[in-house]
Amino acid sequence: MSEHDKIRELLALAAAGALTRAEEEQVAAHLRSCDTCSNEMNAWRSITGDLRRLPTPQPSPRLLQITIARAEQKIAERAEHDWNRRVMIFVVGFAWLLTIVSWPLFHLVSRLLSLLDPQFNHTWINFAGLTALAWLAGGTAAVMLAVWQRRERRMA
Amino acid sequence: MSWEGLVAVDTDVAGLRRGDLNALSGLIARYQNRLYRYLLRIVRQPAEAEDLFQQTWLKVVEKIRAFDTSRNFDAWLFTLARNLAIDHLRRIHPQSLDEPLADDARGDTAADRLPSGEPAPFDRVLEAERRRHIGEAVESLPLIYREVLALRFEEEMKIEEIAQVTRTPLSTVKTRLRRSLQQMRVSLEARHPGADWQ
Repeated sequence: MSEHDKIRELLALAAAGALTRAEEEQVAAHLRSCDTCSNEMNAWRSITGDLRRLPTPQPSPRLLQITIARAEQKIAERAEHDWNRRVMIFVVGFAWLLTIVSWPLFHLVSRLLSLLDPQFNHTWINFAGLTALAWLAGGTAAVMLAVWQRRERRMA
Repeated sequence: MSWEGLVAVDTDVAGLRRGDLNALSGLIARYQNRLYRYLLRIVRQPAEAEDLFQQTWLKVVEKIRAFDTSRNFDAWLFTLARNLAIDHLRRIHPQSLDEPLADDARGDTAADRLPSGEPAPFDRVLEAERRRHIGEAVESLPLIYREVLALRFEEEMKIEEIAQVTRTPLSTVKTRLRRSLQQMRVSLEARHPGADWQ
């Protein structure tokens, strides 16, 4: 392929501004001495110029309204999902904390009770009862918070 | 985009990550024309472009936390839109995406149906006519060529950015760009043999 043919192959990309600096310089040097390629380059510049000025279609205001409304709904759903997850983590953490903290307390109470009544020694039963109570309280709180949150969102 | 524009985009992206509705409206307002135009160039049908426009913004809301803020938001947004559009075309047009679609490209383009605005002087009418021919020629091209032309000349993306959006090597982008221009010119000269394209 001759130098002329090689440059001619690059003209479309040159008009599109997609050449490297070295290629641009090579094309520019050739155009100074070749009328055929210079005319060809003008044709490409004209076409790429028209491509840059094609009319821009506008989305309708209705489309924008619908899009914003749907996206806002999605954001609200995501926020609610995040909130519910945080509440669940808190509740589970709270239940565990309550379970762990209550152990020495109930141990102490059981010992006091067994001092008063030697037959009374139900530490493990009490502890299991308290654990169940703590988890039940945590679960109830989670449900109540979720319901409250949902109602708040509906009213907003 | 200007420096102020880029800062505003960064601010809106940060706001959207926090769930700020105003930030979302700001981003939609800023990108509405460019995104819709790009989708329309790809799918060619306004109803499909509108549906994809909505889906793209829902995807933005869904994925915004995964967006790496050190990267270019434009490229990320257009990549999301492109993926949705390609999936859509694969679903409804099972034939190769590299081939032109049927004869519907011969009809009026969406751009043709746009309101023309103020009455124009004669030379502007001629200019508009010429651009209409260009628009028709673009619409008759295969998807990968329409896309690269839209990204380069309408979105004014650099070759590197186009490569990022289309997930193709730079050399492929350049090849597609050159072939799309050549094919478009052949199409113009075939449709309007007497016209001067200089």
